[in-house]
Amino acid sequence: MSPVLTVFIYGLVTAIATGFGALPFLFLRQISTRAVASANAIAGGLMLGASFGIVAEGTTFGAWQTLAGGLLGVLFILATQHWLGGYDPDIGNVDRANARRMFLIVIVMTVHSFAEGVAVGVSFGGGATLALAITLAIAVHNVPEGLAISAVLRPRGKTVLACAAWSIFSSLPQPLMAVPAFLFVDAFKQALPYGLGFAAGAMVFMVLEELLPEAYDQARRPLVAIQVSLTLVAMVLFQQYL
Amino acid sequence: MTAHPDLTLVVLLFASLSAGTAVLGIGPFVFGRALPLGQIGLANAVAAGMMLGAAYGLLAAGAGLGITAVAAGAALGILFVAGTHTASGTEDLDLNRLDDRSDTYGYQVLLINSLHAASEGIAIGTAMAISQPFGIFMALAIAVHNIPEATVLCAILTGRGVGNAHAAALAVATDVSQVLLAVVVYAIVAAAPGVLPWALGFAVGALVQLTMSELLPQSYRQTRHRSIALVTIVAMGIVVFMRGFAA
Repeated sequence: MSPVLTVFIYGLVTAIATGFGALPFLFLRQISTRAVASANAIAGGLMLGASFGIVAEGTTFGAWQTLAGGLLGVLFILATQHWLGGYDPDIGNVDRANARRMFLIVIVMTVHSFAEGVAVGVSFGGGATLALAITLAIAVHNVPEGLAISAVLRPRGKTVLACAAWSIFSSLPQPLMAVPAFLFVDAFKQALPYGLGFAAGAMVFMVLEELLPEAYDQARRPLVAIQVSLTLVAMVLFQQYL
Repeated sequence: MTAHPDLTLVVLLFASLSAGTAVLGIGPFVFGRALPLGQIGLANAVAAGMMLGAAYGLLAAGAGLGITAVAAGAALGILFVAGTHTASGTEDLDLNRLDDRSDTYGYQVLLINSLHAASEGIAIGTAMAISQPFGIFMALAIAVHNIPEATVLCAILTGRGVGNAHAAALAVATDVSQVLLAVVVYAIVAAAPGVLPWALGFAVGALVQLTMSELLPQSYRQTRHRSIALVTIVAMGIVVFMRGFAA
């Protein structure tokens, strides 16, 4: 098998693993307001935790570039929100607010996969002996990201299958970006900190502006806080030590 | 990773500096009269962002430590903050009520600020034990973070008729627990380095839980979500970026 095909297939495996994040929702029949709040809190914690890891990796390639990327990520979300049309949380209707949030999470997580795909390709470029270990690590690491997406989609009426499909979709940029990054390691290494910063900026901003305030509206403050904190720390430790 | 007990003075000095900067929180009230709720929200957002940045710094610094101890410490830190909130009956308390003049509310606000500062002291002590530059960075970050936090406290106090000088003094007084905890945690970790991953985990868990249970939910009620998100992420980004020079 050619190395390019190997990188692509390994990348594809990691993308499919993201779909497993939808599985917990098979066992959750009824979705109450409190469950929506928990889902928002958990998605928020997972994305904040993932951003911590991404920033730590980005700064090893260049702190200024990561910072610049982060700024672009925030601007990207602001532009996307503008493009989706102005919306006031107080007067906007529920369906439209839900559709907007679902669209945003899929966009944000898909964009973040581009950066991760580059990171995968660049690390493969370092030597193919670690390939299997890296693939396994990324695949496991992707599962909670699928969980974050499903936690936003499922309470808003998407089926578990659709949640899994959108989770996998959000990770497809990984194999697609891993291949060129693997082939042109040096060029992509330059771009990597910008991409990682971009992904982190977009995720953190989306969490702070959309997911957390909604969670606090729907459930008691201490409950939301403890769920966000626990998932955040668990996600950082999980991804850091994998 | 080496910590020398004779450096305890440095910890005392920087932790005191950090607590002392709370006096600057009275600034807006010396010049103007009252602070609109929206600006109090932004002050909370600055404090929240810096807190998350500090938690990131600790986690990044602890990358090589034992995961089980860090995880257990973090769980303890989260439970400590959540537990003290519940035990003191402040878990659902509106922390920025400007019109409540009751004695009970006054005590609760001072208590919650003292407990808040204690967790920050653990963060400073732990960071000092990891390395002195990182500890000084942490103390300075917490020092700057204390200013908007003190401004929020001073808004409540001056609203209750407390004079400016008295309010500033109370803001510093609630931060004294920070100095105590910083010195004690540093001394303990210096004497027993095995405690470091526990202390680090505890500090991370406590800082994140304080952000999520006090600072962020408070600020979302006070002004637009977008302004809060922007101010928080900028404050966080600055701390994360600056850490690069101290690590």
